[in-house]
Amino acid sequence: MTTTLSKVEAPAVDVAAALRRNRRRRGTRATVVLTALAVLVFALFVVTMMIGSFRIGPFDVIASVLHLSDNAGVDFVVRELRLPTAMAGLGVGLALGASGTIFQQVLRNPLASPDFVGVTSGAGLAAVVAIVMLGTGGLVVSGLALGGAVLAASLMYVLAWKDGVTGYRFILIGIGIAAFFDGLIGFVLSRAKLFEARQAMHWLTGSVGQASDTELRLLFGGLLVLLPVAVLLQRPLRALDLGDDTARTLGTRAELSRAALLGTALVLVALAVSVAGPIVFVALVAGPIANRLLGPATGGIVAAALVGAATLLAADLVAVHLLPTALPTGVVTGAVGAPYLLWLLATTNRQGAGG
Amino acid sequence: MSRLRTKELTLGYDDRDVVSNLDVTIPDGKVTAIVGANACGKSTLLRGLARLLTPRGGAVYLDGTVLADLRTQDVAKVLGLLPQSPVAPDGITVADLVSRGRYPHQGWFRRWNDDDHDAVSKALAATGTADLIDRPIKSLSGGQRQRVWVAMALAQDTDLLLLDEPTTYLDINHQVELLRLLRQLNAESGKTIVVVLHDLNLACRFVDHLIAMSDGKIVSEGPPTEVVTADLVEAVFGLSCLVVPDPVAGTPMIVPA
Repeated sequence: MTTTLSKVEAPAVDVAAALRRNRRRRGTRATVVLTALAVLVFALFVVTMMIGSFRIGPFDVIASVLHLSDNAGVDFVVRELRLPTAMAGLGVGLALGASGTIFQQVLRNPLASPDFVGVTSGAGLAAVVAIVMLGTGGLVVSGLALGGAVLAASLMYVLAWKDGVTGYRFILIGIGIAAFFDGLIGFVLSRAKLFEARQAMHWLTGSVGQASDTELRLLFGGLLVLLPVAVLLQRPLRALDLGDDTARTLGTRAELSRAALLGTALVLVALAVSVAGPIVFVALVAGPIANRLLGPATGGIVAAALVGAATLLAADLVAVHLLPTALPTGVVTGAVGAPYLLWLLATTNRQGAGG
Repeated sequence: MSRLRTKELTLGYDDRDVVSNLDVTIPDGKVTAIVGANACGKSTLLRGLARLLTPRGGAVYLDGTVLADLRTQDVAKVLGLLPQSPVAPDGITVADLVSRGRYPHQGWFRRWNDDDHDAVSKALAATGTADLIDRPIKSLSGGQRQRVWVAMALAQDTDLLLLDEPTTYLDINHQVELLRLLRQLNAESGKTIVVVLHDLNLACRFVDHLIAMSDGKIVSEGPPTEVVTADLVEAVFGLSCLVVPDPVAGTPMIVPA
């Protein structure tokens, strides 16, 4: 017996050292990636406020936002015109990135983005009804969109519930609900007058350039509560990753954790959609990009949120400044996201890992 | 007094009872195998013991307390389970997976400490998976992968370890290797191990205690040498056979007639 024991314990020192190296390497990588992403997001946030028909230097922008300078012209352009857009891009991107990666991990499917599972369609239907039938605009539209998103999300959760919620069931029911709401959106649009239809279409494409103060306050209030919650929920998420049986034997209350995770993600995406309309593909790509940066199966929610913010701010810069005519943000994210979706569909099927 | 036992335990799915009124006592510090034909309820019993199924009647007792009344995380510090077909996220590495076995010992804010580090190092060393830590699970062979899963269960550092058909997808060499590993773990740490097995010959060779089930009931239980007879195999598997001593270990060996 002593021989077996010494055989086991002799290499244990090397194992411990190798394991320590492995952990340190992963820790360093996470720190570097998160820092780099935060710097990138901050840079894009500042650049968004620098360029336009009236160019402003980066330090003037920062000074103005922090109320350190006193230049009426610069302050008006930065604080009144550009800061809301930059804030909307930042907040909506963070929310979409975080909620996308939570959906994908909980439902164990890279295609399980909130774009496809009915939440955005519910918001869209409510908004279109508000614009076309009630003839309203602005905050009322956003409020109704938020209501529509929450309603669609609850409907989906209730319909998908059968002794708990499983991935495939949730996704299929979500796709069904999305198709149903999209059909209704088409119906409402077909009855609309030209001006209202254009307004509705603009909302449906998604843009960060139209957020009001109240909407932004609601969005950032939600983010301040929900992002820390999401970070805490990363722990049970890492257990749920291993399947329900393993998660439960590891001491997770699987069903409760899943409900909390999906609830958080649903509210985040509902807030994002109500502020900016359905901006597609940001939620889909943020998680996989964060995983590429951090290493496989890391599933970092903060990293995904930062990737979402960077993607959205960059897409808005392209949509507003680089294209010949200023377009809604959603056009750019859609144009970039569609090829990625095709690639994802092709490779997921090839690996046979669709579930 | 045994740490894990059941009293009048009834378990089932949907509208069907799979096992009913079962009184099982798992001997402490021993390796126990649950054997039986397909669909006899052996995996169901194991899931009940691991609290993955809620009893419809009776109860499972852990250290004298009804298992269902204990906090999930407290149970997870004492009782570990390796499910039949565990799943892992795409691309996860061995080090990451085995480290996740430390989950019940960590808290919302307390993350990684020296105990975690020691437990994971020992689990990797004991299962011979230390040189695989940077490899993705997907790139491993079936035998290596199963040893990594055992390492994760070991990292959980529980006194009781349940394994649901851990040898099913392995070839004979790796089946024997895995059972030897379980024997060794039991010998070195006194861990109580319960394993659901298909192969009666391997069970006889490697375990201390056998629970033979048929149709949701226990047909016989005890040390393999006392329990395994031609009549038992006929009753449990419906196979007529001879039982002869294993030429190496002297344990019962089943030869189809």
